[in-house]
Amino acid sequence: MNTTATAPAALQRSNWKELAGNFLVRHIMVVVMLLIVAFFAYRSARFATPDNLTNILIAAAPFALIALGQTLVILTGGIDLSVGSVMAVSAMAAAWTAKNAGDNLLLPLVAAVVAGILAGSINGFIVSQLGVPPFITTLGMLTLASGFAYVIGDGAPINGLPASFGLFANTQVLGLTLPVVLMIVAILGLAFVMKRTNYGLRVYAIGGNRLAAEIAGVRSRRILFSVYAISGLLAGLSGLMLASRVITGAPNLGQGYELDAIAAVVIGGASLMGGRGTVWGTAIGLLLIQTINNGLDLLLVPAYWQSVIKGVIIVAAVGVDVWAARRGRR
Amino acid sequence: MSTVRSDDSNQVVPMLECSGITMSFGGIPVLRGITFSLEPGTVTALAGENGAGKSTLMKIASGQYRPIDGTVQVRGQDLVSGNTQAAYELGVAIVPQELASIPEMMVYENLFIGREVKTRLGTLDRAAMVKAAKGYLQEFGLGTDPKTRMRELPVGIRQIIEIIKATHRGARVLLLDEPTSAIAEREVARLATIVRSLRDQGVAILFTTHKMEEIRAMADRVVVLRDGTLVSDTPLADISDDGIVTAMIGRELDQLFPERPDAGNDIVLEVKDLVIAAGATPINVTVRKGEILGLAGLVGAGRTELIECIYGIRKPHSGTVTLSGSVLKAGSPRDSIARNLAIVPEDRKGAGAILSMSILDNATLPRIAAFSRFGVLSRRKQRSAISEVMKSMRLKSSGLDQHLENLSGGNQQKVVFGRWLTGQVDALLLDEPTRGVDVGARSEIYRIITELSAAGMAVIMASSDMPEILSLSHRALIMRETGVVGELDREQLDSPDVQDTIFRLASGLRAEPLKDNTP
Repeated sequence: MNTTATAPAALQRSNWKELAGNFLVRHIMVVVMLLIVAFFAYRSARFATPDNLTNILIAAAPFALIALGQTLVILTGGIDLSVGSVMAVSAMAAAWTAKNAGDNLLLPLVAAVVAGILAGSINGFIVSQLGVPPFITTLGMLTLASGFAYVIGDGAPINGLPASFGLFANTQVLGLTLPVVLMIVAILGLAFVMKRTNYGLRVYAIGGNRLAAEIAGVRSRRILFSVYAISGLLAGLSGLMLASRVITGAPNLGQGYELDAIAAVVIGGASLMGGRGTVWGTAIGLLLIQTINNGLDLLLVPAYWQSVIKGVIIVAAVGVDVWAARRGRR
Repeated sequence: MSTVRSDDSNQVVPMLECSGITMSFGGIPVLRGITFSLEPGTVTALAGENGAGKSTLMKIASGQYRPIDGTVQVRGQDLVSGNTQAAYELGVAIVPQELASIPEMMVYENLFIGREVKTRLGTLDRAAMVKAAKGYLQEFGLGTDPKTRMRELPVGIRQIIEIIKATHRGARVLLLDEPTSAIAEREVARLATIVRSLRDQGVAILFTTHKMEEIRAMADRVVVLRDGTLVSDTPLADISDDGIVTAMIGRELDQLFPERPDAGNDIVLEVKDLVIAAGATPINVTVRKGEILGLAGLVGAGRTELIECIYGIRKPHSGTVTLSGSVLKAGSPRDSIARNLAIVPEDRKGAGAILSMSILDNATLPRIAAFSRFGVLSRRKQRSAISEVMKSMRLKSSGLDQHLENLSGGNQQKVVFGRWLTGQVDALLLDEPTRGVDVGARSEIYRIITELSAAGMAVIMASSDMPEILSLSHRALIMRETGVVGELDREQLDSPDVQDTIFRLASGLRAEPLKDNTP
């Protein structure tokens, strides 16, 4: 009994330490991010300039849209491997329409959106209604959509588009380009949806435990369908932005983007098993990857080495997160 | 203070000795200075409610966790903590609650994993292993073919195989974590026999439990933990059942089951000619206002299936369910919820709780429309309604934002139960409402069920726990082979030979005493 007298003091001390530790552990990715920013700022005079910051955001925008869609899909415990190809087919559809419809801005937009939603809806239907594993379904869509992208351009890029096609990517709003504005709106909007709406709660619920969610009245098939459709829509918009930036429809546009999107989500702390992850986390993961890309470019690191370094950083970042989570639990 | 003397007062070196074990997770103390020892040839029960620290103590004793303070000694040697291999070599083996066997491998492969018998050429000598495995199994009274795949065996047998694996590698201290939580009653008896025979061979055994019958059936001595503190360490002969329960929950458990008020007369829920699957007997059930209807039967009798059909998780072959006058849409939990039907499923982790979500979110889900406008949730509405319900459930948590994975089983169950009570419930389906729930929380759940029925709710409660059926229900149905084979009213439930009657009906033996009584 007399040993307990010293316990409260000892407890308080360890609590204080643990609180500080917990804060670091919970926000480990922000810490990693700051370290990387500090490193680049130290090594390159151009890194920490407003112009370069804008560059990072512009480069991040198309990734942001598909990474947000991917976040929803991963929260349900699925994965969408097709987003890169869906970007390409949407871009080609938009470019084709722009070429044939003249100076109309609405039609290419509609074409990209429809192509994206259609591809996403097919994924969603097959996953939710037929029960085919998402990995297989979207792997099929990756190949299929990429094929269609080449079919639309007859194997070649679509050039010679009206100059107005460039407005999607290059219009300035409040001093920022349209894609950056769209990225910011999408992040804020989706963060709200996931945190504060019925829909968001249901997505988390079916990712956390599908059967329990169904018993609690969630129509899981609808929700599953919707996340793939949304992912497709965002990929379509992303493809349009990317094509608009260079006023060309390229069938190989977006190739491999799905991997950076998945990396961003996972770095952001989401679990590939579903039910865990946040929109903010994805935003951080995304900025982390884009900052590394940009910083390595500024340091004139050759492209192949960039790829190697990025690979190491992705695994290391998630490794740190796993380690922190394990520490947090103990 | 525990002694290290055996009955004839000779000094005996304890097999395992824990001194001053202190442990905390994330700043929360889990164990506070636990000291006890295990002598050879004894069986010790480690009792305590969920969350008392039993499993943590087991993991420290087997070297899986490193305590913040204190030492573990095995036969006088210090156990290097955080090193399971070292514990193993000192002869300490643990059979965890979630078995660590490899389901796709055969029994003999599981037994010899990590110390395979080799031929002279260095290849596996499967014939020798099969032969030896057969001998081990027979020694423990198992006729199982050593070439059976592990996954094809019932949990109880797999568990015994884990025990064989541990002891045949020379374990002198055997730690069993909740050995009976997942196995059938018949298998408990076999486990008890095996535990006794190992004790007679001089093995020191420690097992965790919160069931009184098992303490009585297996242990020589009982160590009780409460909130991480050792509150009692006595030979079993010196302590009464009430004494153990009081030590576990820290207060008198005056009455586990509250009084049942009389049921009403209006029929609330009616199941008509419901056939669970093609070929099964049609089932007809009515439940009145304020009535608790018990569903008894053996595992596989169709109780869970019936409840799932009523609620809409499972589509019945044919038949209808009527609630308060309107027919429920088959196979639609959503429709059932809209018509004020609620369920607490049997498999809490698999079908009830969403462990990765907070209490608030779990409790919001079934009645989400009530907390939102145009699809946007109102945190204020959520918090006020849910905190009120959880208060009435006496939920123990650090706040509504705590995730369910960090709650004890009993508290998880309170959330899975309480989440319905933010709105009107006309009928409530309970499937094993107190499985994996400790004694303290159990009596609170009984209180809640009784209060709800008293307020007019119709309740169907499937349970394998006989006292629950006998003391809580107004009426009970006995099921066998996906059909109802008997009905007992309150008078019959109070008769002294009722347990025998239920058992005979459930197992399909001729039920002599019931002949004149069945309606």
